[in-house]
Amino acid sequence: MGNDYTPIPVEIAKITTEVDTKDIKTFRFAFVNKADEEKFQYRPGQFGELSIFGKGESPIGIASSPTQKGFVEFTVQKAGVVTSALHAMEEGMRMGIRGPLGNSWPIEELQGKNVVIVGGGFAFTTLRSLINYVIDDANRKNFGKVTVVYGARNPGLLLYKDELKTWAERGDINLNVTVDKGDASWKGREGFVPTVCKEVAPSPENAVALICGPPIMIRFTLPVFFDLKFSKENIITSLEARMKCGIGKCGRCNVGSKYICKDGPVFTFAELSKLSPEY
Amino acid sequence: MKKRLLKKSGIAELVAKLAKRAGVFAPVDNEGNTLFQKVIDANSIAKQYVNSKDAPKGFFFPHSETLMRYKRTDKGMELEDDQVAQTKRILFGVRPCDARSFELLDLLFNQEKYSDTYFVSKRENTTVIVNACVEPISKNCFCTSLGLSPTGSAGADILMLDLGEEIFVEFITPKGEALLDCFGDMEPSATIDVQAVRERAATLVDASVPCREIKTTLDNIYEHPLWESIAQKCLACGTCTYLCPTCHCFDISDEVKGDDGARIRNWDSCMFPLFTKETSGHNPRSTQKARWRQRTMHKFKYFVDNFNEVLCVGCGRCVAYCPVNIDIREVVKSVAKI
Repeated sequence: MGNDYTPIPVEIAKITTEVDTKDIKTFRFAFVNKADEEKFQYRPGQFGELSIFGKGESPIGIASSPTQKGFVEFTVQKAGVVTSALHAMEEGMRMGIRGPLGNSWPIEELQGKNVVIVGGGFAFTTLRSLINYVIDDANRKNFGKVTVVYGARNPGLLLYKDELKTWAERGDINLNVTVDKGDASWKGREGFVPTVCKEVAPSPENAVALICGPPIMIRFTLPVFFDLKFSKENIITSLEARMKCGIGKCGRCNVGSKYICKDGPVFTFAELSKLSPEY
Repeated sequence: MKKRLLKKSGIAELVAKLAKRAGVFAPVDNEGNTLFQKVIDANSIAKQYVNSKDAPKGFFFPHSETLMRYKRTDKGMELEDDQVAQTKRILFGVRPCDARSFELLDLLFNQEKYSDTYFVSKRENTTVIVNACVEPISKNCFCTSLGLSPTGSAGADILMLDLGEEIFVEFITPKGEALLDCFGDMEPSATIDVQAVRERAATLVDASVPCREIKTTLDNIYEHPLWESIAQKCLACGTCTYLCPTCHCFDISDEVKGDDGARIRNWDSCMFPLFTKETSGHNPRSTQKARWRQRTMHKFKYFVDNFNEVLCVGCGRCVAYCPVNIDIREVVKSVAKI
C-alpha cells in the first residue's frame, strides 16, 4: 500500500520571477527519481501539495501542461509560512510534491468545443496549463476557437509575459490581455476583465467558459456570461480553500458534502449552485 | 458463529493469555477517569464502567502521530523514514458504540482511491473485543436512536455479554476466532437466553432522538436562526470533537529540532476559528454559527450524502462533557421540529 502523505522528492530546476513586485515566482521542478516522473501523470487544472520539510505544505495549482515533458511547474505567490520559505529557496535545492491531486479541467468534454478562457491576476496559473495543453501541436485540432481574456491590475503584474507574446503571434488564439491601469510603456488594452469580456462577446454556441480569478472579478464576470446566454453547465471555475491532507480526510475544505481537494477544485456553476453557499 | 461461555473467575487467566499474543488495552480507573490503558493483568481493568472517557478511536487515529521523519542535508530537508509501525494490539472491553465508530471511520480512511496507510495498518493489526452494555447504561446514551444496539457486534471481532456469573462470548470475525483458544472450551448450552438480556438492555437506552430522520430537513436549512441560537452558548473549546468517537478532522504540522524534524498529524476541530482560516485572512467559516452548522451538517447530512451513514454512534460523550451543556440530542430534536 502506498503512502499518500509521503511527498515525491523533487529538485528546483529553475526559478522565474514573474512580476515587478517580485512576490510571484514560477518554480520548475525536476523529479529526483525518474520513475516518479512517469508516475506523476497529471491533467490541466489539477494541483499539488508543495511540501517543504520543516515548514509544511501548501496546495498550489499546476501551472505547466502535461504536454511539456521532463518537469512540472508551479507559480507561487509569497504569502504564508511555506510559500515564504519556498521563495527563499534556490535552484538545486530539494523539496517535495504530493500529487497530482483533485479533478481537472474537463479536457475530454472540451474536445470539439470553442474554449473561452477568462483569468484574472494570479489565478491564471492552471488556465495557463490548459492553454498550453490546448495549443499543443498534437491537440490543437481537437478544439474549436480559443478565446482568452486575461487581466491584471497593471502591466508589471502580468504573469508569463514572454509566453503571452508567443501566443499573440499565433493565429489560432483570440488573445485579449488587459490591465486595470496601464503605464507609459503599455500599448495594450485597458479595462476590467468583465468589461473586456462584454466587448469580446464570445458566442455561447458550442462553447464552454472557464473562469478563474479573484472573487470580485468572478462576481462581475458571471453576469456578463449569463447575458451572453452561456448556461450554468457551461461555465466552469476552480475553487481554493485551506487544505492539509489534499485527499478528502482532514475535513476542512468542504463545500457542503463535496471536498474541494478531492471532488474539486474544478466545478461547473451548475454544480456549485446546488451546493451550500459556503464559499 | 463460534460461541463460548466463560466463568467470571476465568477473566484473569484470559487476560494473561491475551497479553501473550499482543499488547492488551482496556478501560482502567485513572484518578477518577476511566481511560484505555495497557494492562498486564485483569486486576487493573475497571470493574464497573459505563464507557471510557477517551474514545478508543485514538488507537487507530492517535491524538498526535508522527507521519514521517526527515533530516537536514546540504540540499535541504530530506525524507528519512515514513514507515508505519506494525504492532499487534488487542482492545479489550470496547463498548459497542465505539466499535461501530471504527466501521464509520473505515469508510473515510479506507477508501479505494486514497487509503490512509497509518489508520488502515493499525486497524489491520488490532483485534477488537467488545464488552456489550448490559448495565450500567448512562442516561446520556442514545445508540438505539441510530439503529444500533447496546449489545451489538458492529465493528467487533469478539463480543462479550455479561450474564452475571458468566460471560457469553461470540466470535464474529476470523480475526476474533484466532483468539478462540484463549477463551477456554466451555460451549454455552442452548438454554441460555441471551436474547432476553439483549432486549432488556435495548430498552434502557434513549431511542427517541431522530438522528437518521433529520437529513431531509437539513437539506433545506443551510440558513436558519437555529444555528445562531446553538452557537451563542458555544465556547469553541473543542471538547465535543476531541471526545467524539467519529470526529476525524486533523491538522498536519512540522517540528524541527536542530537537523532533525518530524511531520506530525494532530487532531483538529471544526469548532476552532483557525480550522478553515486561509493565508489571505479569508475564513469561509468565520463565525461559531457557521462552525456549528458544519458540525451538525457533517454528522447528519454530509456524511450521509457521501457514505449513506450518520456520523454519530450515540455514545453521549459530547453530551456529558460539554462545559456549557449543549446537548446534541436537543439539537437534533430542534432540527426535527423545523
